[in-house]
Amino acid sequence: MSQEWNIVVCVKQVPDADDVSIDPDTGTLNRSDAEAVLNQPDYNAVESALQLREAVGGTVTAVTMGPPFATAVLQEAVALGADDGVLLTDRAFGGSDTWPTSLALAAIAEELDADVVICGEESTDSSTGQVPPGIAAHNDWSQLTYVEELEPNPEEDELIAVRDIEGGHEKVAASLPVVVAVGFGLNEPRIAGLHRKIYAENEFEPQEYSASDLGIEESVGLAASPTSVGGMATADPVERKREMVEDVETLFEELESTGAI
Amino acid sequence: MPGEVDTEDYADVWVFIEQHDGEAAKVSWELLAKGRELADEKGERLVALVMGDSVTHLAEEAIERGADEVLVAEDPIFEPYLPGPYGEQFRYLVEERHPDVVLIGGSHTGRDFAGRVAVPTYAGLTADCTELDIEPDTGLLLAKRPTFGGDAMATIKCVEHRPQMATVRPGVFDAAQPDPDREGTITEVEVVVDESHQRSRMIERVVGDITDITDANVVVAGGYGTEGDFGPVEDLAAALGGEVAATREAVEEGWIEAARQVGQTGKTVKPDLYIACGISGAIQHLEGMNDSKTIVAINDDPNAPIFDDADYGIVGDLFEICPALTELIEQKRGETA
Ligand SMILES: Cc1cc2nc3c(=O)[nH]c(=O)nc-3n(C[C@H](O)[C@H](O)[C@H](O)COP(=O)(O)OP(=O)(O)OC[C@H]3O[C@@H](n4cnc5c(N)ncnc54)[C@H](O)[C@@H]3O)c2cc1C
Repeated sequence: MSQEWNIVVCVKQVPDADDVSIDPDTGTLNRSDAEAVLNQPDYNAVESALQLREAVGGTVTAVTMGPPFATAVLQEAVALGADDGVLLTDRAFGGSDTWPTSLALAAIAEELDADVVICGEESTDSSTGQVPPGIAAHNDWSQLTYVEELEPNPEEDELIAVRDIEGGHEKVAASLPVVVAVGFGLNEPRIAGLHRKIYAENEFEPQEYSASDLGIEESVGLAASPTSVGGMATADPVERKREMVEDVETLFEELESTGAI
Repeated sequence: MPGEVDTEDYADVWVFIEQHDGEAAKVSWELLAKGRELADEKGERLVALVMGDSVTHLAEEAIERGADEVLVAEDPIFEPYLPGPYGEQFRYLVEERHPDVVLIGGSHTGRDFAGRVAVPTYAGLTADCTELDIEPDTGLLLAKRPTFGGDAMATIKCVEHRPQMATVRPGVFDAAQPDPDREGTITEVEVVVDESHQRSRMIERVVGDITDITDANVVVAGGYGTEGDFGPVEDLAAALGGEVAATREAVEEGWIEAARQVGQTGKTVKPDLYIACGISGAIQHLEGMNDSKTIVAINDDPNAPIFDDADYGIVGDLFEICPALTELIEQKRGETA
């Protein structure tokens, strides 16, 4: 029975969703000036990791895969209270879809001897939600997704979660090591303290790993990705009438005459 | 590199029939209807997959709804759903039988285990597709999904790996009606999983306590503009015989339960009539309601973006407009009754 848990929290740097816009004239995506931020659902993941550490003891290590400037999201996690941060950075990772991405995260989780890996529900830029189950599948670990409540049961080396499902919920106990995807908004993420912030920005240095450090250089990147983007188009906006009506009577009549009510 | 395959060895379109306690999830029948189209286009067979305990009735229904063959893995280990056994059994079937395309519902169950199939089989998996087509020259699956919060549509292909897998949310496609005269074969497959694949256990499963808004013909949704008073929204929904829904903002404030959230991280609804009350029209919200037939926006800010995505817009206070509209609808009902 492990006394303290090695908790790994996966975080991602994404373009600020509010800054990604569509140019109404050209219909093209405009994200050049979007600020890079910590994926919003990952704040819930970091908070869950910190709460878990408070409950059972152990360490929280934030992990991200990305270019060197992705260190910023590790700093953010460390400012919030993570003990350490790991940056998976290597040109070899470039173009990875969810299969190699989850492989790389699975490999570092193994390397760090993780008991629990916590992720956000999905990323705001690609929103597949596939990476957490992918990590679990690569390592053949248990998994808990769409988690609304999380409770450790260290006596049994397991985590107990309430999962959101269609039309209800389920309560599941999963043995360690386990990969958790927490529901967006499941907790109130804390605010970083000033001292921690100063430490994160000035003293903290992430541990860096390349693909070959993890022995996976042949299995990551564009070439190892089963899927590829075959095209990108602006979403066809649904044609709407955009009729402004002056009063409720007119609205009612319009809806009635078109058969909507 | 692992997983290199001869794509020629792979054929047929598979649809996973998600079931709980012997009841199929509606999205499975929706996917079966879409799968039928894709299989016909490719000139291949449509195969349904059912896992569970005592599920023969679902296998029969799958044939009535379009499957040529149904593979049934029957064992108590498949009740209730757990990702370990489901993923392992599905992996085995994929490796044995080489399907070309695999469709899984984008429910929390489907998305939970799709990766447990795609990873060990080295398959390409596209999440939350809203359109599925076959590329005419190549026969490849073109899986289209909204990206950047719904502003763009990406087409995802899987050229060198098999199967080509996709998840699709409930409500995106229409289910076909069952035809009792359709014929097909039911094949019992070998169950290859045991307790060692479980790794987690279900303590309790509660369903039915929460309404399914994806099924409603009329949805009246409230946002932050309700300031926590959903009364006028509820009354309007009741007058129209519809369901109440909400934005993420309203859910986060604790004004309404999460199951009623519409949008990217909520549900996709497709009613005949969607009335948005005090909702600004963020792209994450629009993504869940854009397939509604008629959209009405009620907002006191004439510049609210929601008006661009509505058929009818009315500028004003929802606390005045909703009750007035409710009254007119009730009057009409009184007249016709
Ligand atoms: C990763 C991610 C996922 C998300 N997923 C979702 C999702 O699934 N669903 C979702 O809805 N959002 C989602 N969001 C949040 C989304 O970006 C918006 O913040 C949210 O939709 C706004 O909710 P709202 O329209 O209720 O509130 P607001 O944007 O605050 O709008 C309130 C509107 O009410 C109007 N109003 C105020 N008072 C009145 C009145 N008395 N009468 C009439 N009108 C009034 C105001 O003019 C305003 O337009 C997500 C965000 C992120 C980052």
